[in-house]
Amino acid sequence: MHEISLVRNIFRTLEEEYPGKMGSVRGIYLKVGLLSNVQPILMQNAFNAVLEDDPGYAKSTLIVEVLPVLVYCEDCDKTTEVEHYKFACSCGKPSRNIVQGEELLISKVEFEEETIEL
Amino acid sequence: MISPKSNRTPVGSVQCENTSLHLLKANDYVAKVIRERLPNLLVINVCSSPGSGKTTLMQQTAKYLNDRLKIAVLVGDPETERDAIRMKEVGINALQIVTGGMCHIEAQMILQALDHIDLNNTDILFIENVGNLVCPAAFDLGEDYRVTLISCTEGDDKPKKYPRMFLTSELMLVSKSDLLQYLPFSVDAVTEDARDINPDLEVITISSINGEGMEQWCNWLKQKAISKREHATEIAEQR
Repeated sequence: MHEISLVRNIFRTLEEEYPGKMGSVRGIYLKVGLLSNVQPILMQNAFNAVLEDDPGYAKSTLIVEVLPVLVYCEDCDKTTEVEHYKFACSCGKPSRNIVQGEELLISKVEFEEETIEL
Repeated sequence: MISPKSNRTPVGSVQCENTSLHLLKANDYVAKVIRERLPNLLVINVCSSPGSGKTTLMQQTAKYLNDRLKIAVLVGDPETERDAIRMKEVGINALQIVTGGMCHIEAQMILQALDHIDLNNTDILFIENVGNLVCPAAFDLGEDYRVTLISCTEGDDKPKKYPRMFLTSELMLVSKSDLLQYLPFSVDAVTEDARDINPDLEVITISSINGEGMEQWCNWLKQKAISKREHATEIAEQR
């Protein structure tokens, strides 16, 4: 979904959080839950497309990690991965207590501290 | 780290910042502002595929509620003002949000629209979202409840194809039920699939044409509108 605007959102968020450090960003790590409807390959394409217009982040790489959906069951005190979109614990009890899978966040940023021109 | 797109080798150490920057943070912030601005009014985000009968349902809901509850509608479409015109024709206080090709409404559009619609003497504000079961699921519009329509002409396999929408809804309306007799659509199957995703989901079968389910739907709205108002009064009294 609307990957281009998400990439612009990434850049805007980084500029707010780390003003003036755009040129030294090297790695941008995203965590996207399966429920966020974000496709990693489309995100990479959008990232490369936006860089053509906005070369400020040209030296950075986008790394997208997809997280499976996990629900928590109070009765069993454990988490279960949701398969086939059945939101239930392995004991069979339905659960809406989603502990992972809705993420859409930047989890890590790598900066280059110093670049020596070769 | 060395970027594969870089033509030179960066020399020097790399510093890491572990962070948790939510990408829809700006939208969620605006949604919170909307909730604070509308403490008395019930706000319902109505979602569905294109052509599931959202606008017709709004027309019939206004008619059915008559003057017992006053409704207003903010209606989103990528282009044209046709839906707002359809609603104004039957006397509904409506305002069109033209998203300019965008596939969903964002909270900022609602916040701006609130300056252009008179909500005095209004009990329920409906936000008729852009017809799309994917993207609108990710955007909180400051609503109290999300209601998703699935028309029986779409097929009963939709909830598992668009899980997030059904996960984030409180009520599913199976619409166009007057056509059920002609279609291989099972209300039980669609309910079972939707409740695999969201065990708490309420379901009402509804027809804007023959009125099936309208009373149940309007009672649902009435009950939610009353409890929101009571809650607001309680909070005001505590202060």
